Amino acid sequence: MIAAIRSELTRLRQPRLLLAWFGLMALFAMLVNTIMVTFVSGGGSLPPGAPGVAFPTLAEMESPSGLMAGLAAASNMFGIVSLSLCAVATADDYSSGLVRLLVAAEPRRWPLLAGKVVALVIVTAGATTVAAIVNVFAVLPAAQAAGISTVAWGTNILTVVALAWSNLFMALCVWGVLGLVIAVLARSAAVAISIGVGYVLVVESLVKMVKDAPSDWLLGTTLGAVASGGTATIPYTTAIALAFAYVILGLVLAGAVFIRRDVTD
Amino acid sequence: MPVVTTSELTRTFGPVTALDGLTVELPSAGVIGLVGPNGSGKSTLIRILLGLIRPTAGSAAVLGSSVRGPAAYAARVGVLIESPAFVSALSARANLTSLAHLRRVPLERVEVVLGQTGLAGRDREPVKRFSLGMKQRLGIAAALLSDPELLILDEPTNGLDPAGIVEVRELLRDLGRNGRTVIVSSHQLSEIEAVCDHLVVIRFGKLVFSGPMAEVMKRTREHIDVAPELLADLPRLEAGLTDGGWSVNGMDGILRIVANAERAADLNRAATAMGITLRALVVGQDNLEEIFLEMTGRVDGELAEGRAIANGKVA
Repeated sequence: MIAAIRSELTRLRQPRLLLAWFGLMALFAMLVNTIMVTFVSGGGSLPPGAPGVAFPTLAEMESPSGLMAGLAAASNMFGIVSLSLCAVATADDYSSGLVRLLVAAEPRRWPLLAGKVVALVIVTAGATTVAAIVNVFAVLPAAQAAGISTVAWGTNILTVVALAWSNLFMALCVWGVLGLVIAVLARSAAVAISIGVGYVLVVESLVKMVKDAPSDWLLGTTLGAVASGGTATIPYTTAIALAFAYVILGLVLAGAVFIRRDVTD
Repeated sequence: MPVVTTSELTRTFGPVTALDGLTVELPSAGVIGLVGPNGSGKSTLIRILLGLIRPTAGSAAVLGSSVRGPAAYAARVGVLIESPAFVSALSARANLTSLAHLRRVPLERVEVVLGQTGLAGRDREPVKRFSLGMKQRLGIAAALLSDPELLILDEPTNGLDPAGIVEVRELLRDLGRNGRTVIVSSHQLSEIEAVCDHLVVIRFGKLVFSGPMAEVMKRTREHIDVAPELLADLPRLEAGLTDGGWSVNGMDGILRIVANAERAADLNRAATAMGITLRALVVGQDNLEEIFLEMTGRVDGELAEGRAIANGKVA
């Protein structure tokens, strides 16, 4: 599997792909922090079911974890970026015909798929780091300008940053794996992105708007809870367990299809 | 030991039978030409040999191992399947490095194959800037990466200019002479005729011919092409020669008569007896293309597909 990981990492060193991935993470980190600080300091609140973001209260913002609150707030946006770019990186193998060459070189398809997953997880770690760094540099001046107290942000700073990073990283890994799974099934980046984005922005939002509909198990909600370290409705451990179940289910499905399906692309 | 053996190999895609009980043995060492009309099952055969698709029935083995476990021989086989496929944003070197990692091949081999295929000077350019011919060279470089015993190349000279075609032919001949086996699938029969030691012809998923190229070329027949001075005399000449017992085929303003060179004078006398003056009388020999057309019944497999599906057979 090491061979497959090294091979995938070499292929992922595409300047445009990495620029798009890291650039979008940085852009969303900056945007969400700016908007979040303005919103929180103005005492605003989002309507229930608003897609993609979940802002903290002023008290939460002024607590030690307020420094990294932007990561959790924008986790679903970051998630869509991860899903999309993992889908592109996977579907490109089909659209270019490269999958033929890869399977001919390594006919054991499980290591090939696992190598791609691990390589994408490594790049996701890089993307999470970019988001975390930009978050810190964006939130500090924005908070000071908006009059939000940042006194508590120095407390346990390493723990706060590490926890926020690892929570977002776990959530993005799940998003990325799901992008890969949809791309393997659809063999098309456009279809995979449409399904992923359509689900989060339309399907999940609609389900949340329906009163009494059980929405705690939904993908975006679950991964938002993972990125936030748990929420009032979904405990952290439940969110992690659900996310793990999503990943296992997705990988088993993608693995079964990838292994059994003819490579005719 | 044969490099490839298939026994009653069958593969269907829904109502289409792409391979229909194909049984063949390909000898080791040398260059083997795999030819057949469009849709004859060549690509399906190659994909089965590489483990990309599985047979519906029958069996096949590559380098002594069953195609149901291609991992046993994948490291010993180099491939160029259809059009070369690479990450276009990456350089030739990066693409080859990626494949070298996957095949667990030392990175020194990247330098070797870049040199072998004439890409050494342009190895750091993104593949998207490459012409089709350059991509084809890169495809061949990727196939050579693991220094394989068996090379399977689908249309290896596609997109190459005449000089590139000659280079690739030389490369294939060298590889065949140095103890490797090269299977070349191509529509360019002149290329097959020029480089192959052994020929396999398939049509409608069945074996039509498998044997040494020398044996194929024994099937060549001499012919004499004649053209009357006046084009208007062509039908009368054709009718007269046919009545005289000659085997005549009309082709684009000339008549092709199946006869050896010694009969050229008789032919000229026959035309003169009809009061027709010949402006051309050329002795020639069938080439592989003509033999191929005879073997395959002058059929385009894909055009025949509808008819074949209706009959429960395939293209």
